[in-house]
Amino acid sequence: MKEVRITSEWAKRNLNTIIPLAGLILLLTSLRIANPYFLASWDSVITLVYGMSFFMIAACGLTLVILMGSFDFSVPSVLKLSAMIFAVLYPSLGFLSIPAALAVSLVFGFVNGLLLARFNIPSFMATLATSMVAEGMAQVISGGYTRMITDPAFRAISTTMIAGLPSIFYWSIAIWLISIFITMATPYGRAIYAIGGNLVGARLAGINIRLVRISVFMICSLFAGVSGILYASQIQGAHMQVGVLDMIPLFASVVVGGTALTGGVGGVHRTLLGVLIIRWLDSGLSMIAIDLNIRMIVFGLIAIIMAILTIDRRRIKIMK
Amino acid sequence: MQNQLLIAKNISKTFDNVVRALDGVTIDVRRNEVLSVVGENGAGKSTLMKILVGVYQPDSGELYYEGEKIPFPKNPMEALERGISIVYQERGVIPHLKVYQFLFLGLEGKFTRLGRLQLEKIIGIAKSVFDELGVKCDLGSYMYELPLSTQKMVEIARAILSIRLAVGDSEASKITPIIILDEPTAPLSIEERDEFFQYILNLKKNNSFIFVSHIIPEVMKFSDRIYVLRDGKLVAYHDLSTEKVTEDQLFREIVGRVSYYELYSVHEYGKAEAENRPIILSVQNLTKKGYYSNITFGVREGECVGLFGPAGCGKSEIAKTLYGEISADSGKIIVDGKEVKIKSEPHVRLRVGIGYFSGETGKELFLYWPIRKNISIVNFEKIVRKPFKIASVISFKAEKELADRMIKKLRIRAPSVETECYSLSGGNKQKVSVGKWLEKSPKILILEDPTIGIDVGAREDIYEVLLEMKKKGVAMILVSDDPKEYAILCDKIILLREGTIQKVYDNGEFRRVMEL
Repeated sequence: MKEVRITSEWAKRNLNTIIPLAGLILLLTSLRIANPYFLASWDSVITLVYGMSFFMIAACGLTLVILMGSFDFSVPSVLKLSAMIFAVLYPSLGFLSIPAALAVSLVFGFVNGLLLARFNIPSFMATLATSMVAEGMAQVISGGYTRMITDPAFRAISTTMIAGLPSIFYWSIAIWLISIFITMATPYGRAIYAIGGNLVGARLAGINIRLVRISVFMICSLFAGVSGILYASQIQGAHMQVGVLDMIPLFASVVVGGTALTGGVGGVHRTLLGVLIIRWLDSGLSMIAIDLNIRMIVFGLIAIIMAILTIDRRRIKIMK
Repeated sequence: MQNQLLIAKNISKTFDNVVRALDGVTIDVRRNEVLSVVGENGAGKSTLMKILVGVYQPDSGELYYEGEKIPFPKNPMEALERGISIVYQERGVIPHLKVYQFLFLGLEGKFTRLGRLQLEKIIGIAKSVFDELGVKCDLGSYMYELPLSTQKMVEIARAILSIRLAVGDSEASKITPIIILDEPTAPLSIEERDEFFQYILNLKKNNSFIFVSHIIPEVMKFSDRIYVLRDGKLVAYHDLSTEKVTEDQLFREIVGRVSYYELYSVHEYGKAEAENRPIILSVQNLTKKGYYSNITFGVREGECVGLFGPAGCGKSEIAKTLYGEISADSGKIIVDGKEVKIKSEPHVRLRVGIGYFSGETGKELFLYWPIRKNISIVNFEKIVRKPFKIASVISFKAEKELADRMIKKLRIRAPSVETECYSLSGGNKQKVSVGKWLEKSPKILILEDPTIGIDVGAREDIYEVLLEMKKKGVAMILVSDDPKEYAILCDKIILLREGTIQKVYDNGEFRRVMEL
């Protein structure tokens, strides 16, 4: 058996696991010191779970895209649009509005993927544009009004308590596990890493680049759509502020988890840690009465710092 | 001897207290000569050169310049002041700079007035330098527009210019610049190489060159003296003006073993045809405007066909068409009796059985993946289970066994299947990438420069693997720059010129024609 020794070399290699873990512990202790009510009761745990579950689902999708070396700006907008479609159509269609919302999300993912894979538009640009389209559509179908749904069945999707935790938590863990399974144990997952790691090599190894790219963007948007539906159920409706400030925290939680922006390095399994840190930091900071705008500054800085720390330095030559 | 310019005496260098890269090596550089330093990868050539230009400091040794003892340069700038400069193999040019911009890149500081670049002055100097050195190109064109050989010449002109600027105008005329060329011909085609060497020979009257290479014929043809390094030691020295050396002798000194070429002279060429094995790939009237036209040939099971010809003859375009990287305008490609679409993608071609192996490990390998994943990337069908019918799940145990078997079979020197490929040596990297194809054994394998950039010793191993695949019945198509490679691997060699087939040789004829 190989002996695992803690050396500076070992520490360096596992830097992107150590930093988030240490950060999490540090964060929990300092939040607890700053506010003795933080995580003091089961209710506060449930609040946190509500805060992170929908977020986790969207982050899983984004992680897949980043692993592939691309980026998806449209996640929060698709999330909002899906929530809006669900809430707007629910009174007339009932639960049939769920497939409608998911179908629209899938179309967005397909277009994102197509713009990159077929028309070679950098995903940063393509998804920024489609996010505007999604925003506009959400605005149009809701007329800009908040849609409240009081039907208990609507709420039950996310808020049914199972073993002391709301069902949205189990949804998000299920999606997380599925994503881990896809990336770690299937040839498809290997193809995602391959495209992020060496595009030319992936092509020569006979991977259908176009298909993988389009499908990964579709999965990402599907997850965003699922997240939107569950979130709408959680907050009893939808409004135009859903997901508005989520892009930077989403991105931050992926990179804080240790998935490099360069693609090919990291994984969905790491994203849970990132989400925990970002969401707990968020709620912790708001509990000690720090203004939302200041929180955004903090997340922006964290995203930058973690991007610097986790970026794959060995490949820095090829970055542009 | 007044002819002696620079002597590096008893140089030793150890990395990390373990790896002895150089062990008491002494070389001298004379005025106006081409001095070759040859050896396999890892023989210490690059380390020695990096010591001369101040990138590394030696552990021990002495340096003499014109008979006078001097300290080793501490950085490249100090080396420039001594008149020593290097043109790296890979550093390369910046394609989107204009020629004069690239020529003065990093040297602009001396030509600014009040922060503004004195463009007229720079262009004037560039013109006179190019005239003097005989570089023929338009200063205003972009680097990428120039042929590769001219790009290299611009790089050399830049090296000479940096030395002049570093020592100052008054000194510049007195010294003889020493230009180190690290594998300069690696990216060049055969004709470009000749042009390049003519250029170097012209410059010899004012400069000295240290030529680092492992391409033996070039070294023999163009150098005045040769040093052979092996495992960090100087193992041979030849002064070509006073003695005659054969290629084989030099080869043996470099690798310390018998020639790989002799090893394969007894291989059974033409066996596939003699046994009338089925034609697995048939190409009919394949045409792509401006690249090749009316290409028709067939490849039998277990046969290797070489597409041979000068750069620009269309050979690599045909290969790229066959594995789906570029598409032809018209013609037919028939694999195993079934016609395939001429417009296609590599993944579709792989599905019908056409694989592609390139010697460029950067292209082929996932350098930051362990060996295990690099081998399984084209072999998923062997390591997946389908527990739910639709979803394929990788069996890590099977994957590990597969990689283990390959490591043992190809004698890949690595601690385990989990070793990341970037940490392997060039030859071992190549073995990993050829190993995945050995395991896959596609019906047809396209080889494009299968041994580019690896040393002669490691080539032998790659050839052995490829010949084994051939024996197993894999059909192959070879595109390369090295005629010996064709002689070793191919049963049939198709001579191409300007995109059309000129002649077809069998192996024996080819060897006779090429005087191999």
